[in-house]
Amino acid sequence: MHPFVITGMGCVLPGTENPNPAPTPAQGIYLNSDLSGARCPNLPTTGIIPPLINRRLDRCSRFAWLAARAALLDAGLPVTQLGNRVGMALGTMTGGSEASDAFMTPYLASGVSGASPMLFPNCVAVAISGHLSTAFGITGPSATQLGRENSTLVALEQSLHWLEMEWVDQLLLVGTDALFPLLMEILSRLRLSSRSPEILIGQKKGFLPGEGAQAFVIERPETAMKRNVLAKAKILKLESASSQDSLQDRQEAMIHAASAALKGMQNPKCWISGANGHWMLDEVELPLQEQLKLCDALYPKRAWGEFCGCGGQLLAAAVMNAADRTLITASASSGEQVAMLLGNPKTTNG
Amino acid sequence: MKRVVVTGLGMVSSLALNFEESWQQSLSGQCGIKPLQLIEMPGEPVQIAAEVALPPPFHAQNRCAAMAAMALEEALEGSGIDLRQGDPFRRGVFQGAASSGLPSAEAYVSNRLAAQNSHAAPLVRDLSNGITDSLALRLQAWGHRSTLMNACSSSLMAIGQAWALIAQGKLDWALAGGAENICRTTFAGFSCLKAMDTQPCRPFSEDRAGLTLGEGAVHLILEDLDHAKARGANIWAEVCGYGASMDAHHPTAPHPEGDGARRAMVMALEVAQLNAEAIDLVSAHATATPANDGAECLAIQRALGAHAPQISLCASKSQFGHTLAAAGAFGAAMALGALRDQVVSPTLRLEKQDPACNLDCTPLIARERSVRAALVNAFAFGGNNVCLALKRHEGK
Repeated sequence: MHPFVITGMGCVLPGTENPNPAPTPAQGIYLNSDLSGARCPNLPTTGIIPPLINRRLDRCSRFAWLAARAALLDAGLPVTQLGNRVGMALGTMTGGSEASDAFMTPYLASGVSGASPMLFPNCVAVAISGHLSTAFGITGPSATQLGRENSTLVALEQSLHWLEMEWVDQLLLVGTDALFPLLMEILSRLRLSSRSPEILIGQKKGFLPGEGAQAFVIERPETAMKRNVLAKAKILKLESASSQDSLQDRQEAMIHAASAALKGMQNPKCWISGANGHWMLDEVELPLQEQLKLCDALYPKRAWGEFCGCGGQLLAAAVMNAADRTLITASASSGEQVAMLLGNPKTTNG
Repeated sequence: MKRVVVTGLGMVSSLALNFEESWQQSLSGQCGIKPLQLIEMPGEPVQIAAEVALPPPFHAQNRCAAMAAMALEEALEGSGIDLRQGDPFRRGVFQGAASSGLPSAEAYVSNRLAAQNSHAAPLVRDLSNGITDSLALRLQAWGHRSTLMNACSSSLMAIGQAWALIAQGKLDWALAGGAENICRTTFAGFSCLKAMDTQPCRPFSEDRAGLTLGEGAVHLILEDLDHAKARGANIWAEVCGYGASMDAHHPTAPHPEGDGARRAMVMALEVAQLNAEAIDLVSAHATATPANDGAECLAIQRALGAHAPQISLCASKSQFGHTLAAAGAFGAAMALGALRDQVVSPTLRLEKQDPACNLDCTPLIARERSVRAALVNAFAFGGNNVCLALKRHEGK
């Protein structure tokens, strides 16, 4: 894989009051665990999102807008008329669902008169990229990945060829998710969400649902150098593997992906784990430490929750920690298992 | 870069449950649009759709998953791939996500409104990526998996992503396409946007009045040419590349001059290293909404320039309705049929052509002609445009 660099980051995370390119590092911050989920406060949009447009946005899109703007500014890019040399890859698990619930419920309750043309366009997750495209004048390619807990990293993996084939100069990667009442009800009924305020890994107590968005500007090193911008992190490897449906198969796929990410590299100094407190993900990552001789992991989902950008929060935590080499293992309850190796551009060769 | 070819094609449509019958019926002018049977939509002015008659036992399952599985089986059988051979980590599945989870959500919400208990498990089970997983399990495909939610361009983007990863040498072959089922939410949504015609849709017509919803599935097996040749596979056509763009214009309406669509087509030609003069067919998005068809024809004229009058257009939605996430793959299937048989499927009900659609739109009757290469268009909410370039492959 061609090495790529991250030159901009913007985050809307539970516990933050402003979209910020470099919020507090994740290590040791586990403040938001309560039974109502890790929620983002009402973030200020004045002067950022035009009020008439803001009214029409679902919360996923609003989070994504704020995070993307912060990332673009952080990367030294304009926030208008970015043009066709910028592409967009977006990952989500809940995108479109909040609007679908809001559209569907009154329609099913009262028929045709309950159907809102304002709500329907947001019922598909791709609407988020449409809002961002219009907001920032992005006219390059776009793909929205609607998967499980690591959608955003899968979206990156599937869209990297735009950078590799030099179709675009910058890729705006966005992960975004929002909590809404129907989702919380379903998670609770299926005993997926935690019944304890403290999220413990490996204790089979369930996960903390979370919301928020993270955005990253990714480009080729030579493009960044030409623009005279500093890299925040270097993407050294991005690997994935999928499997059959059993836990053991998913474990093997995770080991396969992580081993491929570490192949030919020194052991990582930092490990960001996608384990979330629910056995389905915790046990997928359980064999990694012993088999790959990894250091102790950090668990950003304890603070920011599951979903919350679907892997975007893991990448954000890795960039914030800025270790020499950081391994991200982003497990999923189905589909691909993803592993990523990041380097600190100041200290990592290659 | 590796060359990529199509070695398998499966289709489940409102006309038939396989490609060959669907294709032959479309050539003979048959239409799958009929009065609604699967869902009740009281109070809606529109009461038609292109529904699929699934046989038992499929009719009782998640329709999207069932149609996707049927299309997979046809594509796999046609490809002649032996799943016991090759590296499972070099097989991928790329699926255009659809409304598959919405019927379960509708059932859950309806029960809640009626104060009845309802199971929550189907809501998770029927998520769009669940279909991708089930297809991958059938194929023992442990490589890349992608569930694209680009709305009406989902399945064409899925084919494009599969092409890219095979062309880059990361996969030997992949299943790519999409499946879509009709449900109350999407029906009510397009109705409240006033985007649907009460009559069967009329692409390119002067009096076109909107789309007609459809459902179905199309899946392609995309394969590295060398891999396909080594096992003596039957080759449908070559996938030469794709282009994609965003309009940056409006949440639901296309750019009035088709600027994003034009850029996607130009990009597809550049990536495919094809001149405009090489193109004989555009399998158009052609939703039959007043805004889309004129903008698309303008985009085609601008992308193909002086050659535009020489090409034929086909509009698969006149036979199969708008299959949303699967629409791009349906368009690709019509282009693959044309490349194989050298005949273009007709645009049904095109009695009086819109002067703004001043191209050869193949009205009413299928037309035999030379088809060397084709572009396939799919455009979506949020101004997401995708164009796929296909080329006839000579020899086995």
